[in-house]
Amino acid sequence: MSPIPTETETPVARQARPGGRDVLLDATGLVKHLGGKRVVDGIGLTCRSGEVLGLLGPNGAGKTTTLRICYGYLRPDEGSVAIAGHDLQGDPDSARRCLGVCTQDDTFDADFTVKQNLVQTGRYYRPRPERLAQRIEALLDQFGLREYADSSPETLSGGYKRRLMIARAVVHEPKAVFLDEPTTGLDPQARVAVWELVSSLREQGMAVVLTTHYMDEAARLSDRLQVLQNGKVRAQGKADQVLGDVVGEHVVILHATEPKTAEALAWIETNFGEGVRPSQVLSDWHVPFDAQQLSAFVAAFADLRYEVRPPTLDDLFLALSEERV
Amino acid sequence: MKRFIPAFQWQSRAVLMRHLRVHVRNWHTMLVPPIFEPLILLLAFGVGLGRQIEGFVWQGLELDYLRYLAPGMLAYTAFMIAFFQALFGAFVRMHFQKSWEGQLTTMVRLEHVVWGEALWAAAYATGYAVVLGLVLSVFGLTGYLDLQWQWLPVVVPLLFLCALAFSAVGLFFTAVVPTIDHMSLPFFLVIMPIAFSSSTYFPLPDVVVLREVVLLNPLHHLSEGLRWLLVAGEWTWHLLAAAGLCVLVIFLFVPLDQRLLRKRIFGEQ
Repeated sequence: MSPIPTETETPVARQARPGGRDVLLDATGLVKHLGGKRVVDGIGLTCRSGEVLGLLGPNGAGKTTTLRICYGYLRPDEGSVAIAGHDLQGDPDSARRCLGVCTQDDTFDADFTVKQNLVQTGRYYRPRPERLAQRIEALLDQFGLREYADSSPETLSGGYKRRLMIARAVVHEPKAVFLDEPTTGLDPQARVAVWELVSSLREQGMAVVLTTHYMDEAARLSDRLQVLQNGKVRAQGKADQVLGDVVGEHVVILHATEPKTAEALAWIETNFGEGVRPSQVLSDWHVPFDAQQLSAFVAAFADLRYEVRPPTLDDLFLALSEERV
Repeated sequence: MKRFIPAFQWQSRAVLMRHLRVHVRNWHTMLVPPIFEPLILLLAFGVGLGRQIEGFVWQGLELDYLRYLAPGMLAYTAFMIAFFQALFGAFVRMHFQKSWEGQLTTMVRLEHVVWGEALWAAAYATGYAVVLGLVLSVFGLTGYLDLQWQWLPVVVPLLFLCALAFSAVGLFFTAVVPTIDHMSLPFFLVIMPIAFSSSTYFPLPDVVVLREVVLLNPLHHLSEGLRWLLVAGEWTWHLLAAAGLCVLVIFLFVPLDQRLLRKRIFGEQ
């Protein structure tokens, strides 16, 4: 599990910590109320240079609100955010100069062409990005947008619109990049293309924070995951650690068509109570177990047909949903 | 004062320049309305209707209706174009084009977007009024219109100030109207009453209550002030009142716009 900064350290001290990569995003104690509801409840995030942090959680968990606080779109009611050592509230211009954002919706400027969008975005930063014209030419090539440079963004396919959004987010060479569900609605080929772009941002030393609903994407792209639920951090760490913490080591799939499934579910409830929460998926039941629970179950139901597999991030979502219920 | 400092920051200029670039790129189509709209109005009302009006008297002066109309049109243009641009243009950019959201993820903050939109609407309306001034000059060159032409360039800064005030009012409605379908309400409930109690197109009837009410109408002072200056060559208190009221409107509405738009866009108080 990645080291979590201590509460007593200042953001600048954390950034300067020897022996590690620079902390480029450092958010602590974030609290946000919207519509009378506490949607972010004491969340802290860190992301280092060359690291991808994945934010996961069911709808309403507070992912987008947390992200919006981190890139300065929303003001936190409590807590602080530092980007590359610049406090977002105290020194917003310096902090915002160091970050780039790809929002969930396409927010490119429909009055400009693809290339003009990159130029115009560059104009929203001071000091002006160095060698902006060359940078834009390089981005057009890197993001495969060259042949659409003079087209209206509205005419692009979904995948290319996302490419443009990410290119806009990095046109000023930020240190930290926030990607809010960057592949939602894309076909598999376009998703892979976006993944490659995200990897290239990491290789360039940027800190990348992304939210996603796609579990394979989170596991594949993220160096570290942070699972949010009801505005709080439910679990964090590598994908397998998070799964172990929240779901368990194994998932047993019981088929409803099996005559003994009801009996098995009753046995599970009797023996493990609240410690094990089966989730119903269509006509099957997914039951998370640790090794000890699994061996007890196997011994008790030797003649039952079932499947055993390692947990996936889909199980994580199911587990979180069960907890919420 | 912190609500007003962003007006002078580069981010507000960046927003203003973004709108300017879009409009300059379409200059050939953008120039059509400011040329032909006043041309049609001047021909239809100034020349056409004006011929039917004999013995038109304003403030004891007998003059052609076209001479009465021209300064009023300048004032009305600064008022209406600024308001319209700040209402419709800003609403479309905020709600449909999502260009505000794109800007707000950069170094541009909401206060810059508000000031950028207000400054753009004011600049656009002033440009519109300048083109109208050129159209009026053509009428002057052809002998249809006689004004104190030397004062025409002098009133441009005042037109900009008033347009800025009206754009701040427009942004207020951008912040509060629920949908674009509700845009007609501010026109019927606010704009038309202001416009028709302002001496832009006709002198107000001599009704005591109306006389008192129009003292608070900056558009009335602007049109009367411009008329005294451009028709009679006299600087009157109306110009000062127009400037003062517009500054007051700016000081009242811009902070209100920022607060209401913050609530609308971010859901924050």
